[in-house]
Amino acid sequence: MLRRQRVYLAWFVLHFLLIITISCRDMVWLVAHKLTILPAPFRAAAQKVEPIATGALGDNLSTSNPFRRALLTYLHIAGIDRGYGYFAPNVPAGYKLVFELHYPDGRVEYELPGVNSGAAGLRVATLLDEIGRTRYDPLREYIIKTLAASIWREHPGLKTVRAVFGSLNLPSPAEFERGKRESYDFLYAYDFSLSEEPAKAKNP
Amino acid sequence: MARWKERLRVFLFPTETDLWLGLLRIGLGLHVLLYALSLRADWNYLFAGPGEGLIGRALPEALLSTESPLVPRLGWIVMLATRTGLSESTALSFAWWVLLFAGGCLVIGIFSRASAILAWFVHLCAAESGGFISYGVDNFMTIGLFYLMLSPLPDRYSLDQRWRRLPSKNPHLLGFFRRVLQVHLCLIYFFGGVAKCLGSGWWDGSNLWRALIRPPFNVIAPEILIRLKYLFPVAGIVICLLEISYPVFIWNRRTRGIWLMCISAMHIAIGLTMGMYLFASIMIVLNFAAFGPGLGLARGEKLVRAIAS
Repeated sequence: MLRRQRVYLAWFVLHFLLIITISCRDMVWLVAHKLTILPAPFRAAAQKVEPIATGALGDNLSTSNPFRRALLTYLHIAGIDRGYGYFAPNVPAGYKLVFELHYPDGRVEYELPGVNSGAAGLRVATLLDEIGRTRYDPLREYIIKTLAASIWREHPGLKTVRAVFGSLNLPSPAEFERGKRESYDFLYAYDFSLSEEPAKAKNP
Repeated sequence: MARWKERLRVFLFPTETDLWLGLLRIGLGLHVLLYALSLRADWNYLFAGPGEGLIGRALPEALLSTESPLVPRLGWIVMLATRTGLSESTALSFAWWVLLFAGGCLVIGIFSRASAILAWFVHLCAAESGGFISYGVDNFMTIGLFYLMLSPLPDRYSLDQRWRRLPSKNPHLLGFFRRVLQVHLCLIYFFGGVAKCLGSGWWDGSNLWRALIRPPFNVIAPEILIRLKYLFPVAGIVICLLEISYPVFIWNRRTRGIWLMCISAMHIAIGLTMGMYLFASIMIVLNFAAFGPGLGLARGEKLVRAIAS
């Protein structure tokens, strides 16, 4: 039993070291990217610590490195691949995606990416957050194009589809009392047609 | 040094009954059922292959492959099914039914270990193939099912135990896995609390307001919420303090009940006011399995026995 206990103890230490390292890495990232209320000296320190935290988790290794792969596999199967800063340090802005459906007869309709249940609706909101957060334009375009394709399948007679992506501005309680309501800032627009041409993207 | 080692051993391997494991198994089983049923109408649409469904699983699975080709995904199940002549849609429906079946088996405690592994595997496949549409609830489900799968199943409240009359499990091992769940929850709340404390919006209540009026979490009309505006700063600070102090007060027998009730109340409030029922459910299950037994043992045992019978 004592030998088995040692094995369990070793697993415990390794498992929780990983959890703590990942949580610290996420925290340091927030501080280093000026997303917290901590003053400048903390940011400078966090910027120095950040590479150490990411290095400890093998982020700097090549993607084919067996150690990195084994580590990432374990993190995923144990559900400990990300930290726990939900709605923290601040509640992020939401996003909205609207499809403008253009029919050959000139008719225009508007549609949102839709699902059947509330549970799936929360997942669509997560997807929109992901689109809004990514700084990699081709990825954003690919996801929006895939969503546009799902709309197209439901409306096969369409001529073109314009996808308009915007960020949500929420009023503060004081602004709400003064009559201000939620509004959207235009971020990107993509025009899709059935031809093989790449989407025409517009952004401010 | 020897004394410290002994203290650590006593802390990590306390003698424990399997009441907590019964709670975790039944709770996670119910949660898996709820998860599967809530996604029934959209399951195939969310996880379809290229050229079908909402965004499909092709991109998340491709990105996952760059990280590790060994992480389970729905593509594996689909590939196996299509080799036996089944369509992709049938394979996805099959995965959903397997998840539902595993959840049901966990609730009644039949083939407990196999059901836990099955539920963990299929849910993990969905969570990883979902990629961009996965959120916190998927993480916590993976964590819970991972620990359940490794824990010494079956517990004495399961049908397995009644039918097969297996010898009782090692109480130290039961204690160890309960400690793992307890320590993990402490870290979750501590880091969650610290991250919240670092945001200005949790001190002035604006984050709470934003969270409640932000679509799709805007279950309550802002016209009603605005009447409670003076409560938001207090509630924001209370949430931060509750989370950050969880690892301290949850261990103390005197304060454990209060903290458990407060944390559960917070999750119930999140479920009701933001529509995040699944998130609320998984957090309450994990909390009660980890820290519930020992509070009102007799009552807890009665409940588990009633559900099991």
